[in-house]
Amino acid sequence: MLELQRNVIFGQFVDTGSPIHRLDARIKLLATMLLVVASFLVNDFPGFALLLPLVVLIQVVSRVPLPYVVRGSSFFLGFLAFILVFQVFFYPGEVPEPSVLWRWGFLSVSTEALRFAAILGLRVLLLYYVTTMLMLTTPLVDLTNGLELLFRPLQKIRVPVNELVLVVVIAIKFVPIFIAEMERLSRAYTARGVSFDEGGALTRARRLGRLLVPIVISGFRRADLLTTAMDTRCYQGGRNRTKLRQLHASSTDWLLLLVVAAWVLAAWLLPDRLGA
Amino acid sequence: MTDRSDRAPLIEMRDFRYTYLEGTPRASVAVRGVTLEIQHGERVGIVGPTQSGKSTIVDAFAHLLRLREGQVFYEGQDVAAPGYNRVALRRSVGIVFQRPDFQLLEDVVGKDVAFGPTTAGLPAEETRQRVEESLNAVGLDYKEFRLRYVHALSGGQKRRVAIAGVLAMRTPLLVLDEPMAGLDPRGRRELFELLMRLREQRDLTLVMCSSSLAETSLLCDRLIILQEGQIVIDGPVRDVLKETERLSGLGITLPEPVSCARELHQIFPDLPTDLLAEDELETELLVRLGARDA
Repeated sequence: MLELQRNVIFGQFVDTGSPIHRLDARIKLLATMLLVVASFLVNDFPGFALLLPLVVLIQVVSRVPLPYVVRGSSFFLGFLAFILVFQVFFYPGEVPEPSVLWRWGFLSVSTEALRFAAILGLRVLLLYYVTTMLMLTTPLVDLTNGLELLFRPLQKIRVPVNELVLVVVIAIKFVPIFIAEMERLSRAYTARGVSFDEGGALTRARRLGRLLVPIVISGFRRADLLTTAMDTRCYQGGRNRTKLRQLHASSTDWLLLLVVAAWVLAAWLLPDRLGA
Repeated sequence: MTDRSDRAPLIEMRDFRYTYLEGTPRASVAVRGVTLEIQHGERVGIVGPTQSGKSTIVDAFAHLLRLREGQVFYEGQDVAAPGYNRVALRRSVGIVFQRPDFQLLEDVVGKDVAFGPTTAGLPAEETRQRVEESLNAVGLDYKEFRLRYVHALSGGQKRRVAIAGVLAMRTPLLVLDEPMAGLDPRGRRELFELLMRLREQRDLTLVMCSSSLAETSLLCDRLIILQEGQIVIDGPVRDVLKETERLSGLGITLPEPVSCARELHQIFPDLPTDLLAEDELETELLVRLGARDA
């Protein structure tokens, strides 16, 4: 049995009713964007160390169980580790001879390469963590509304904001659906004599390949159904549409955003100042 | 050893419990402690409202869920024991899923029915024979349907192809999960007749899940009634049908004669409800009407 739903939590929403869940979706989106920007700006270990307490705070306050998040990221973490190994071995920059730790033919490990890969890993981890937490703590409807409201000014220069947001949201929403579909298909194959839980890693990986074509086909079928459903409900890109649930950002929400902004600035600028 | 496994029930469950996505915030309990035995050659109906755990139970028969040891046994052997041959188990337990779309894996009918035998590595000639035999058994002409596209079939035909695909595996246990769901009256009748034929002709152990007693009570000898993941009634069909109040309280559709008899209870308080066919009801009513006239 393939238990993908356990191992991939991307795009899922878990309602724990925490203060983070109750935050205004726009505030959460802006805070996420700030942290995403931070993941690119921060360029040293002290900076990431400064961001760590914020991440811990988000994790604790959200009340989403940590083991669930870690397990649900296992595929992603494995993939990241795989990429980082290559980053270390094929470090592109100049390496002064004394810092080379190990060399074999064209492969080498140096302190520069290790540092480079570690920073890259931390960047990607932060990026992944904040976006995953955003989705875990925000219902899809709020996410859509928040994105639409944030990008509404762009409509003045004829950017189809509603349509773009819809595309993004559908893409996110399809991930858990695909995962469930994969699981269901693998069960059908298993019941009919193809096991995904037997044999070595390579055999299993090869068998997984058999699921690809049916998954893509079912994706098209779903897309067809979705367009029909949207047509029957007269979807026209959110023009003149009123909302049942209005988003409200209280002053506390804005204050929190300010705190996150300050934190990110500190993580970006402080290490340099202190070092200099 | 062989003697012992001969006497062992085909399927045994001991306090089987199952929670989907256990240990995550999205966990949902499906089965809360089910103990049952299914003997060789038995025909068992597992009946209960939606979300009562029927599908979870039959999925566990073929080890399609992550199982703990000591819960599910096939011919006396723990299917979750390390080193247990799960591939062989799945060649012995044939499951027809609730939705045939979820089960049909190939694009052409003949290829799909051949899927199981081919995967099992049977020679081409034997596979072909089995495909022909299975398609004919479910009432689809081999020559006519062999090359048809699966997506172009009707719901009832798809279900037949799904059943043929499982029959071609020649499994000793055949499990049908809600076989009547989504079929029109004609499709239901045809499928019912097909299942009756299979029941008579083949030496099969049959397990059928349903939320209705209409067909199940005629196809099975024993009924297991489920509610919220627990067994509430387990017994021979007629004994179970006597408990009409409990059954309808659970939201289970009663067979026509039984619900008629239940309605008529105000007039004939002694009218039995363990009736399988209309003529049984007719006989019982005639006896009472005749007695009243006399």
